[in-house]
Amino acid sequence: MIKVNDSVVRELRSRGRFDASKCFSCGTCTALCPVGLPILPREIFRYALLGAQEELIKRQDEIFSCLLCRMCEENCPEGVGISGNIRLIRGLLNEKVLGL
Amino acid sequence: MASQKIGVFVCRCGGNISDYVDVEKVVESIKGVEGVKIARVNMFSCSDSAQEEMIGLIKREGLDGIVIASCSPKLHLNTFRQMAQRAGLNPYQYTQVNIREQCSWTHTHDRDGATQKATRLVRAGIEATRHSEPLHPIEVVTRPSVLVVGAGIGGLRAAIALGEMGLTVHLLEKADRPGGLVGTRKALFPTGADGTSEIDSLLQRIHTLQNISLYTNASLVKKEGSIGDFSVSIRVEPKDGQDRADTIQLNVGAILVTTGATPYVPKEGEYGYGAKGIVTLREFLDLLDSSRDSDGIYYEGKRVRRITYIYCVGSRQKEGHTYCSRFCCSSAIFASLEVHKRSPDVLQYHLYRDIRTYGSLEALYQRALDQGSLFIRFSPDSPPKVECGHNGGGIKVLVKDLLTSKRELEISSDLVVLVTGLVPRVEQQEVQDVLKLPVGIDGFFNEIHPKLRPVETVVAGVYIGGCAQGPKNAQESVESSLGAAAKAGSILLKGKVELEPFVAEVDEGLCDGCGQCVEACPYDAITMGQRSDGTPVAVVNTRLCKGEGACVPVCPKEALEIRGYGHEKIRSMIRGLLTE
Repeated sequence: MIKVNDSVVRELRSRGRFDASKCFSCGTCTALCPVGLPILPREIFRYALLGAQEELIKRQDEIFSCLLCRMCEENCPEGVGISGNIRLIRGLLNEKVLGL
Repeated sequence: MASQKIGVFVCRCGGNISDYVDVEKVVESIKGVEGVKIARVNMFSCSDSAQEEMIGLIKREGLDGIVIASCSPKLHLNTFRQMAQRAGLNPYQYTQVNIREQCSWTHTHDRDGATQKATRLVRAGIEATRHSEPLHPIEVVTRPSVLVVGAGIGGLRAAIALGEMGLTVHLLEKADRPGGLVGTRKALFPTGADGTSEIDSLLQRIHTLQNISLYTNASLVKKEGSIGDFSVSIRVEPKDGQDRADTIQLNVGAILVTTGATPYVPKEGEYGYGAKGIVTLREFLDLLDSSRDSDGIYYEGKRVRRITYIYCVGSRQKEGHTYCSRFCCSSAIFASLEVHKRSPDVLQYHLYRDIRTYGSLEALYQRALDQGSLFIRFSPDSPPKVECGHNGGGIKVLVKDLLTSKRELEISSDLVVLVTGLVPRVEQQEVQDVLKLPVGIDGFFNEIHPKLRPVETVVAGVYIGGCAQGPKNAQESVESSLGAAAKAGSILLKGKVELEPFVAEVDEGLCDGCGQCVEACPYDAITMGQRSDGTPVAVVNTRLCKGEGACVPVCPKEALEIRGYGHEKIRSMIRGLLTE
């Protein structure tokens, strides 16, 4: 059960331009990812939007494995700034979880 | 008299027919049949060159009737009727035999069987032409006036269009003021136009047109007559100072039904409806409309910070309202944009099955995504659950999100908007009873053909527009109502209308006035009249008769025939079918 809230989104937006709400979950990013991780941008962003910080913590290995190659971003039909969003989430995890 | 020099043309339809039916054999086997002068095969009968060739043959050979064995008459009956006319024949001395849909396409595995069936059908067609007589369409003079039932945005717009054509328009509204669903709305999607002022400007236009009369608190109570000349009664409820209702008689040439639809009202407890904080789309729009200048969203005095929308409430159900109501996705998303604009800090969650913001309305959806609305997709098998006010808490909506591997989400909400669609109006029943209009399984009025004849009904001279036909947004309602106005205008401005001559005829010498045909007719086209000697006899109103034929078999005296389908012709066609 995820208790939906806006804490993560508010935190991310205070750090920069987090524009993942534009995503309409087509899955192009997941299909194109050269790393082929089991969870990729689409779903990570949904967890962020839903305020599920624990889910992001559980998936930090994947989040930090992103190459920031921007293959997905170039092809995103909605023009989501995927790599920028990933960096914002990394920043959040660095500070909140890893205490960096 | 009947045709004795008949030309029979059997079509290959490229190979559509001849690949499965031996068309040469069909032609061979009907040569020598009584009345047949020539018989031959065409490659494509409908092509210009084949038509010219047939016209030449009709003239050269002095043919007085033709049979074309080709495709369904739904496709080319009128093509060949017109060709017959160009060749100087009466178009009703042409018979089309369908050996494509009924032979080649249905019996692809059985060439002999298909060929034999085609031969028999062609023989019956020859008998039909042999016993045909020249017929002429029935011409009906039309009155240049029209009744429009329902003064919502569609009815008003149609009335203006008809008024501007110079026709006399009687516009009826059941409520005490015109405007319908749009009339009370402050912001219409997609532009935010004010519905109230749109309706006001239409009303102003109506008041400047002398030939439009508007009746409010009025209903249609009776209809007699038929296309071109209806006689209707309307009842106008008493106004202040009057003690009884007025009944007004009007004569009109056509009737437009623009009675609209009504928002679905959820059942008590459906998604928590009835509890505080749970509102329908209409109630939510009213709330937004009543607080246009406010900086935030307030519900019962409290500021709203989290709104959850549940889509498809009362639409796309397994049983009951199975249809999509079309306007609700766009309307709800447009409302959420207003919320984003007024207070960007409000969180908005849209629980949907499919988003149907079709055409350019897609831009609304894009804007909502962009501005932070979160869309959560649920399966119709596990709809959201709404829990209200347990242990003093607020409203909680539970939903399984298909886009996050069906994870269960719990959404605390200050306001839940049930995005409700449209259903037929209860009052529609009166109009349905008076006009005898058919309705579809969803309860809305039925058109003849959804694509080709979208505003005509089976009752000639009665047209439908707007939501009376099914859910539509304001734009679509106006479009279809204007379509209905154009169709009505086309028969009324011409001053006459032509009807098919296939109507019932009574042989007065045989009729004994038993009245069974009166009972059998579904169109009330037969009444009991009197001969000059006072004895009863059935009388057919040819403008009401559809030539449907229910009266023919019930007559114990065989006194009724459908013109163009007489007893002798039908018997001969059956004999033709049975000939080996």
